[in-house]
Amino acid sequence: MTSAPSKLYADDVSLLVVTLDTNPFFWTTFPFHFSEFLSQVLAFLNSILLLGQLNQLVVIATGCNSCGYIYDSTSNRNHASTNGTMPALYSNLLHNLEEFLARDQKLTMPHAPVTVPSSLLSGSLSMALCYIQRAFRSGPMHPQPRILCLQGSTDGPEQYVAIMNAIFSAQRSSVPVDSCYIGSNNSAFLQQASYITGGIYYRPPQMDGLFQYLSTVFATDLHSRAFLRLPKSLGVDFRASCFCHKQTIDMGYVCSVCLSIFCEHHDKCSTSLYLARLNQMLPQQTTGKERLHNVSGLITLILSCPSRELICYVS
Amino acid sequence: MPEVRIIAKNFMDMVASMPAIKLDKLYQNGFICEAILRSLPPLAKKYVLQLLHIDGPVSAKLLEEWVLPDGLSKHKVAIDRLVQLRVFVEALDRKNEKTYKVNSTYQRSLQKLLVHGGTLPRESMPSNITVRLPTLEDLETYALEQWECFLLQLISPSHVEKTLNISSSLMKVFQRRLLSQRDKEAPKLTESGFQFLLMDTNAQLWYIIREYISNSEERGVDAGDLISFMLELSFHVIGEAYNINTLTDFQRNIIKDLADLGLVKLQQGRKESWFIPTKLATNLSVSLTESSSRKEGFVVVETNFRVYAYSTSKLHCEILRLFSRVEYQLPNLIVGAITKESLYNALENGITAEQIVSFLRQNAHPRVAQRIPAVPENVTDQIRLWESDLNRVEMTEAYYYDEFPSRDVFEGACDCAREWNGLLWENSKKMHLVVKSEVHSYVRDFLRRQK
Repeated sequence: MTSAPSKLYADDVSLLVVTLDTNPFFWTTFPFHFSEFLSQVLAFLNSILLLGQLNQLVVIATGCNSCGYIYDSTSNRNHASTNGTMPALYSNLLHNLEEFLARDQKLTMPHAPVTVPSSLLSGSLSMALCYIQRAFRSGPMHPQPRILCLQGSTDGPEQYVAIMNAIFSAQRSSVPVDSCYIGSNNSAFLQQASYITGGIYYRPPQMDGLFQYLSTVFATDLHSRAFLRLPKSLGVDFRASCFCHKQTIDMGYVCSVCLSIFCEHHDKCSTSLYLARLNQMLPQQTTGKERLHNVSGLITLILSCPSRELICYVS
Repeated sequence: MPEVRIIAKNFMDMVASMPAIKLDKLYQNGFICEAILRSLPPLAKKYVLQLLHIDGPVSAKLLEEWVLPDGLSKHKVAIDRLVQLRVFVEALDRKNEKTYKVNSTYQRSLQKLLVHGGTLPRESMPSNITVRLPTLEDLETYALEQWECFLLQLISPSHVEKTLNISSSLMKVFQRRLLSQRDKEAPKLTESGFQFLLMDTNAQLWYIIREYISNSEERGVDAGDLISFMLELSFHVIGEAYNINTLTDFQRNIIKDLADLGLVKLQQGRKESWFIPTKLATNLSVSLTESSSRKEGFVVVETNFRVYAYSTSKLHCEILRLFSRVEYQLPNLIVGAITKESLYNALENGITAEQIVSFLRQNAHPRVAQRIPAVPENVTDQIRLWESDLNRVEMTEAYYYDEFPSRDVFEGACDCAREWNGLLWENSKKMHLVVKSEVHSYVRDFLRRQK
């Protein structure tokens, strides 16, 4: 995408795709109530639309069984339901959210899960990227897109590959992924997502002032980010998950053909059926940045050159 | 092109120059706050949002800490704008440091708008009363037709078949700065008139609205009321019908003028009459920012300097005629060529090369708009070269001396002119000298003393 035609558009017109964590298993255990969270987020979403008539907003709900679009400011089914007590945005979004939650609940597996199931972040990220791709193709003039993940539940290591793929495709189309993580521990996935795509990762220390954090940090359009000092992430957790048991690992075995990562030694790679021995990685002292290059190198190599001999993978 | 910028931006300056009491009154309306917010530069928008829920004053230093060194100038512009519009109120705290606080009226209105949403003072009419409402496409063509008709009447009153109801006195007001008329001659476009024609529709619209408002005081209408009504109108939904009875008498008078400009369409039912806002009206608040509207272009420029304009509009033809030689006109196509003569003609009329290039670019046909650059480089370069050709020769008033009695006197005169920094040219062999006219008196005195 060249910038020349989009010059006709104002600098700060943005397309914001928000993924909203609706995982009931998380919200029932979290001290801050979902409704209070929602009211602050809604005010934030409304303020994005308020900032410019051309701004677009899409909200995607991230459930634990499915994902779904729950609001799209460009669709023409939106207006007409303003009744004076709340903006049309709120009533539409809440209505769709209720429908989504009911649908998501029906999909729940009959047997009760032992652990808290994670939200389908990979699904909603992919949906967000698909939507953005559509905006890219809609014509020479499109608003500047960015993704904001409002996530609370912990990472699901089983989604590692899907999420990393989404992150790299976001990086390729230069879409920053901002993440506002409200859970107790940092989310490694979101840290990586924001780091790789050049977005902002921030964990609000206080939930009461969520709106203030959102409007101060995440309402900043991409144009203004060049002039402002925004929160920088200090450390990023670059650990990968193994493909066999979906566990986060510090050190692992990598297939030299397809670069799949395994936590234990196999004679045959289960992904590419490559028969060679998988080599164990040597732990090396590397900084976060270098590690990152290795990870992104891995993925690009998968795409470009499958017969390349073993790549060193360090976590 | 300084003029255009000023014309397009001036509306907000007009709002900013209103007295504080009137501004505060304006800010009681949430929609106006929203329109003002949207007109701000990006950084300023962010600051408003950031301080919206903070009741106390925030020190200027704290705000500045957020800014990277590169952005300081933008930060200054943003803050200046906010203070100018009285969105931010400046004060000094106990330690004599500058602090900012969001104007409390503005703050309250915007907070309310954010949480409860805004309600228009009138609701759209149910569809069983309003019959034969135009479709959105019809409405848009109606608006554009009306606007073009208005523009044609504005620039060449004699050429119009269909006249509008705009009173001639009002028309005179609009023409004031665009046309100049010497006695008994046909009115001629002025420099700003040409520039006006090359602006995009939104900028033109704002220029006209601005003239309309600045003239309002003379007609005994309060400018504040007029501004608030205009901005409010821009938040009505396109294509919905609104009952005229919900308007005050004062607004009803205005809406008739606006209908002539194509901002609203008036319709009459069996009992009631209503107005339907068009895209031009809702664009009012968009166009406050520098963004241009998405409009399909119609011009194709080829590398051989030919211009093809796929348009049926007379106005487009007139505009193209400003800087190109129109060769033939087919029902849906105007073919012209940019020649040196046609361009010199345009430049003489005060249009700049940059304006022509940006006009061609902004109105590029979709087929060529995707190409980069949309206008061939050799054409844009040549247009700029032709412009700089005109600036190659610099004129300076001067005096010419010759027949000096002796070489000493000649050299003395040269030195004298040099001392005053006014020596333009000298030929010591033939003893000729040219000096700036400001220096003439000094050199003359010097020569007299020599005698």
